[in-house]
Amino acid sequence: MMQERMGTICLLVAGCSTLLLISVLLFMVLESWPVWSAVSPLAFILGTDWNPLAEPLQLGIGTMILSTLWTALGALLLAVPLGLCCAIFLAEFAPQWMANILRPVLNLLTGIPSVVYGFLGATVLVKFFEINFAMASGESLFCASLVLTIMVLPYIISTSESALRAIPPEYRQVSLALGVSKPYLTLRVLLPLAKRGLLGAIILSFGRAAGETMAVLMLAGNTMVLPTSWFSKGEPLPALIALELGTSEVGSLHYQGLFAAGLVLLLFVLGMNLLLALFRRDRRSGVS
Amino acid sequence: MLLRRLLDTLWLIAFWSAGLLLLLVLISILGYLVYRGHSVINLEFLLASPKGLPLGAEGGILPAIKGTLCLVLLAVAAAILPALATAVYLAEYARQEGIRQVINTTVQCMAGLPSIVTGLFCYALFVVRLGFGISLLAGGLALGMMVFPVIVVTARDALLAVNNHYRMVGLSLGVSRWYLLIRILLPQAAAGILGGILLAMGYAAGATAPIMVTAAAIATPSAGNLWEPVMALPYHLYILFSQQVSLDKAYGTALVLVSLLLILNIIAMWLRHRNGR
Repeated sequence: MMQERMGTICLLVAGCSTLLLISVLLFMVLESWPVWSAVSPLAFILGTDWNPLAEPLQLGIGTMILSTLWTALGALLLAVPLGLCCAIFLAEFAPQWMANILRPVLNLLTGIPSVVYGFLGATVLVKFFEINFAMASGESLFCASLVLTIMVLPYIISTSESALRAIPPEYRQVSLALGVSKPYLTLRVLLPLAKRGLLGAIILSFGRAAGETMAVLMLAGNTMVLPTSWFSKGEPLPALIALELGTSEVGSLHYQGLFAAGLVLLLFVLGMNLLLALFRRDRRSGVS
Repeated sequence: MLLRRLLDTLWLIAFWSAGLLLLLVLISILGYLVYRGHSVINLEFLLASPKGLPLGAEGGILPAIKGTLCLVLLAVAAAILPALATAVYLAEYARQEGIRQVINTTVQCMAGLPSIVTGLFCYALFVVRLGFGISLLAGGLALGMMVFPVIVVTARDALLAVNNHYRMVGLSLGVSRWYLLIRILLPQAAAGILGGILLAMGYAAGATAPIMVTAAAIATPSAGNLWEPVMALPYHLYILFSQQVSLDKAYGTALVLVSLLLILNIIAMWLRHRNGR
């Protein structure tokens, strides 16, 4: 009897994972509920003062959102050109033995934990900035971006490589038959064809970079001043949550404010992922 | 024409150097860790508790290794059954495209969940609402939630990679789907699934943000009590660095952690490669 029902049981379990995801969202909304009545959502997101212990308390995460955007977008700015070059190299140009070395390298790079990236960034990069640019302390959003770049590179590369490989071989054959050089073929024919997949890779890594905690916590400097440039210090959202959750009193507006910040981050990343899912579905229907 | 050829050469150089840069990054990360960390590592470092003032300046990291082991095992124990069931559903049973797409999207979203949000959720649910306190149990469950999508995706792909002929022959012989799954498909995919689990273990062992808020302590005498906080390697590394306890010990801890994860990852890669053939 049990054996026939296996499919149903598996479906139920799989359904529970969806419920879990929804419950995460609901829980965050529930825990942060009082904040939204105390502070209007717009003021919460755009406000630049975070002082949950002051009287009257100020809850605005604008500075943190700006820091998050600086670090994540900065990381993309560096990682996208580099990652695309690597993906093109792996998909089109690398000889077999080279590809056989690089693919495991990508896997190992994802296997190194973020705290180690953060630690190395803080001891090597930050020191480097302090010594060479005579800065009092070398932490900056730029440092965080640099380390995030290395962290998101493997994701960009493997996703864009599979997008490039999914292009039917006819395009390559026709272009080569027309006497076009291989770099030209890659840049003018293959890249535009893989546009959707490449955009998907960028969205994926943007979500990753925005949600990364340890590296930004150790590198961004953790000051609550509105960041004015890529080289100023800041405190991205995940760092704020990680730093203050332990000290906030359960049930206080401070605690609920952190959940509200988590909710903003969650909605942002979920939005990115749903966008990605939409992209993938479109691509599939476009092929069939 | 000359310009064209020059441009082509430049692009080729760009592609090659991007690939080589990647290699260089990995080698320099590992090389630097070994260079700075190897002198600290000896038997005492691996087998003693942290000592000295501030705590961790001398002594070893045994409780942290034990704690990480407990956390990882607990995480995998919590995640493995639901994850395998979900993977089996996605690979073998899903007939309605709609439901499969919803579940696939869910798994993808869970994989994209920022680890600090997972931590926040588990802090509120396990530590505060259910009253577990900062404990091994809460941390293990948080990590379990984090590795769930990893196991689902790898197990699903391993099952899908099994040659379809087995399914057809099995079904044409009138074997039930359940029997087919248990006797043919799962053994065929076993190496890939095991590889995925090892990958998940590595992922859990390196995660810091979730356990920072749900399980980790700077120092605990014992490891293994479900209701007590634990020490963990990544968190120990973070503390050693951020409280400026000892940079040397931090390098040693990082080296131990990274070597552990590299070994796990290499075995996982080997297993999954074998499965792919």
